[in-house]
Amino acid sequence: MSVGTGTRIRERRLALGLRQAQLAREAGISPSYLNLIEHGRRPIGGALLHRIAERLEVDQANLSEAEDSDVVQALRAAGAAQGLSAELLEDADGFARRNPDWTRAIVAQADALAAQARSIEALSDRLSHDPALSEAMHELLSTVSVVRSTAAILAQTPEIDRNWLGRFHANLDADSRRLASGAEAVVSYFDRAAARGDGRLLPSEIVAQFLDAANHTFPALGREGPAAIPALVAEIADPDARRLASEILTADAADAARLPDALVGEADRPEALAEAAGGDLGLVLRRMGLGDPSRGLVICDAAGALVRRKAPSGFPLPVVGAGCPLWPLYTALSQPGRPLRVRIETPDGAQWLAYAIADPVTLPGFDTPPILRATMMLTRAASQGPAEPVGPGCRICPREGCAARREPSLVVQGAMAGERTGQGAPPGGNYG
Amino acid sequence: MNDQSGAPRRVLLIEDEPNIATAIAFILRRDGWHVATHSDGATALDAVDRHRPDVVVLDVMLPGKSGFDVLGGIRAGQRPGLPVLMLTAKGQRKDRERAEALGATRFMTKPFANQDVLQAVRDLAAHVET
Repeated sequence: MSVGTGTRIRERRLALGLRQAQLAREAGISPSYLNLIEHGRRPIGGALLHRIAERLEVDQANLSEAEDSDVVQALRAAGAAQGLSAELLEDADGFARRNPDWTRAIVAQADALAAQARSIEALSDRLSHDPALSEAMHELLSTVSVVRSTAAILAQTPEIDRNWLGRFHANLDADSRRLASGAEAVVSYFDRAAARGDGRLLPSEIVAQFLDAANHTFPALGREGPAAIPALVAEIADPDARRLASEILTADAADAARLPDALVGEADRPEALAEAAGGDLGLVLRRMGLGDPSRGLVICDAAGALVRRKAPSGFPLPVVGAGCPLWPLYTALSQPGRPLRVRIETPDGAQWLAYAIADPVTLPGFDTPPILRATMMLTRAASQGPAEPVGPGCRICPREGCAARREPSLVVQGAMAGERTGQGAPPGGNYG
Repeated sequence: MNDQSGAPRRVLLIEDEPNIATAIAFILRRDGWHVATHSDGATALDAVDRHRPDVVVLDVMLPGKSGFDVLGGIRAGQRPGLPVLMLTAKGQRKDRERAEALGATRFMTKPFANQDVLQAVRDLAAHVET
């Protein structure tokens, strides 16, 4: 059970020194009805919640149960990630009620850790996939190695003969120049990236940063449609990234025109919007996933490459590269047109409902294979139950013994140690 | 550093960076090793057959053929148990794992300390003796 809206109303009323009867009268309801609300026996929302929030001088969102529920879920996920017992996790709502400030701090810290995990992945991918940086670093480390080794010989071999002494001095001179050039090359590399105004290298990364900063929500699109796009993307310096962002927002505007905010805001399940969307469940998932900050959205192309990522709090997504092979997103890709609803569990113990579907993005044509795209919308499960284990993507996933793992985790050292011991044993024995 | 007959133990150093090769060869020779050097990956396996080393020190980045390929050739050849110390400036985890999967006896990342290289070669040779 989450921290109730009624409890928040009661706490705020008492803090202001208001009597129940007084607040009830000003809100236009009977004291007995307000009493039922405060004790969670009657639901509250809409205009009544708005009037009460106004009288209590707080934002309506601060009283809503939905926000509290998300905070408690995030707190529970943070606790599970640290290995807290089931009993303690069960009491997460009680803890949140007793320690609201600490709860916010813990949740913020968990979010920051998730953001760092995403940064680690981005940096690692940059080093792995950018040949220019990889080559520059290799040159730099090789030269440092020579300088270190040569300097140690000179310092630790006082009896060295004159020929060797001259040779090592010459080497040291040449390699120290080379080291300076290598260092300049690396600094210049990062200077060029910084000059692009983003500190990142790939247009897709810049666009991801742009979309994340707005939480993938652009109210101007709803008001003005595609006409708002040039002003929205004007802040992006990189022309390729700006073009990519424009394409994404154009598609979002078209989606919004087909399925307006008013309809999406009222729906709590994708099925409820299926008819209004003309049966286009991909459209429903995109609109629902983008329309609520607590939901996530992932879209991949037929090759499995992620082309849209909106990470909900508590479910980090890889910044570049593919996601977890166990995501229903990829199952959907293998079964075009079949909607999937799967309960999944992340390594921190949090459970999510994943809705996924794959459909063609091109018009059908004879003798022309369809170009598929899969869409997955994520929303936190309201309760625990049997679930499919998944991860956020191999590089930041700590699961051990996963048959789907394609690369080692950066998050937990030694995650692959068990596998390496067996296959890495050399013929002569490994005593390194 | 001698074998049971009193002859110096042999190290083959396969490294294309001449100044690194010079420094490593210097510290190994001072320790009593007989050191042969080779700088080309494509002909490295021929050098292994020719020099009959007790230990190979092998760089990953080589012209002609990578150190990984050379290592695979050694393991598939006539002396699959030959101790191989791999050196690389690419200390990334995937490189280490690839080296281990191919059967590198030990893996060392640049920049390394002279003493560490020396001790690693001693360890590998001692393991063969026992």
